Amino acid sequence: MSTASDVDLGRIALLEAIRREGKEWDVIAPRYGVTNPDPPWKTSLIAMCECLSVNGTLPTLDRRRAEDKLANSVYGEVPAPESELLALVHTMLNRGLVAEGDLASRMRTVRSRLEAA
Amino acid sequence: MNTAHKHTGDGHEHKAAPMVEEITDYEVLEIAVRELAIEHGLFTAEDHRRFTEWAESVGPAAGSRLVAKAWTDPAFKARLLEDGTKACKEIGIDWAEPTGFGTPSDYTNFRVLEDTPTLHHVIVCTLCSCYPRPLLGMSPEWYRSTNYRRRLVRWPRQVLAEFGLVLPPEVEIRIEDSNQKCRFMVLPVRPEGTQNWTEEQLAAIVTRDCMIGVALPRPGRTADVHPIHKARRPVQSSPQHGRAAE
Repeated sequence: MSTASDVDLGRIALLEAIRREGKEWDVIAPRYGVTNPDPPWKTSLIAMCECLSVNGTLPTLDRRRAEDKLANSVYGEVPAPESELLALVHTMLNRGLVAEGDLASRMRTVRSRLEAA
Repeated sequence: MNTAHKHTGDGHEHKAAPMVEEITDYEVLEIAVRELAIEHGLFTAEDHRRFTEWAESVGPAAGSRLVAKAWTDPAFKARLLEDGTKACKEIGIDWAEPTGFGTPSDYTNFRVLEDTPTLHHVIVCTLCSCYPRPLLGMSPEWYRSTNYRRRLVRWPRQVLAEFGLVLPPEVEIRIEDSNQKCRFMVLPVRPEGTQNWTEEQLAAIVTRDCMIGVALPRPGRTADVHPIHKARRPVQSSPQHGRAAE
């Protein structure tokens, strides 16, 4: 298993596509006149990080070290909390905790569900 | 585009709050990775719900109440300085929540740093982003930035000046680096002009930034307002080069 010190800074196609789309909260919220500073998923992201740490799957310090490296390189232009989400998923993919193909497939399923009339 | 509407069914009118009416891939990504993590057995949905509820429940109001009580109750202040974790229970804050041993990110050894007229404390976590979350809620983004973490310990007066806090030279600045074993919070000096104030009035001027140490409480100041910006060039060593927050 890899460690935080050898986090792979190579770009991941699925996450790159999301990054390039540029739909960060601080961009889209003003378009709709929304003033809440945080996207609705931020608390869930925080909880996910705690869950992954509490049983040692991805300890907080490992995650934060990887996040620092990624936020200062691959996701350098992405604001928080989107950069934190991308860094977390990037680290999980690096560590084999989830697979990119599975994630892409699940994203299609989730979007379809959310857009259902 | 947002479609604010008028609701008149129960005899009154109000506009619905604006909403972001599109689903971004960030939102979809967060849900998708969480679902897969649960299906892979990395954690349970119940664990996630418990931590989400905890994260929603914490905020800087608890820290404000703690400071206000310490300002008005000398015996409580003594207990707080002696054993911060234990004293927090007196205002209903239990560092052991939500698991019985805290969260993985919140170690339960908590210490309060008392300012004096000639000593000012500031907290930071140079390693990552350790923060007294049970009392202050989630850390602001600037606190997590490598920019703040690296520069504060090198140029404390200049960094504080960027927050609009210019301290006279005779005030010693002490930076306390949070770590994996301990959390810290600043107990500011009670400002002039607050005699006979209630705890509630006092708590209103003890903002998050005051408890981090990048601001001072004063009558009339009830919110932290400053921009988040990155320094593009290293600051100079002279205080007058510190750029006040706009």
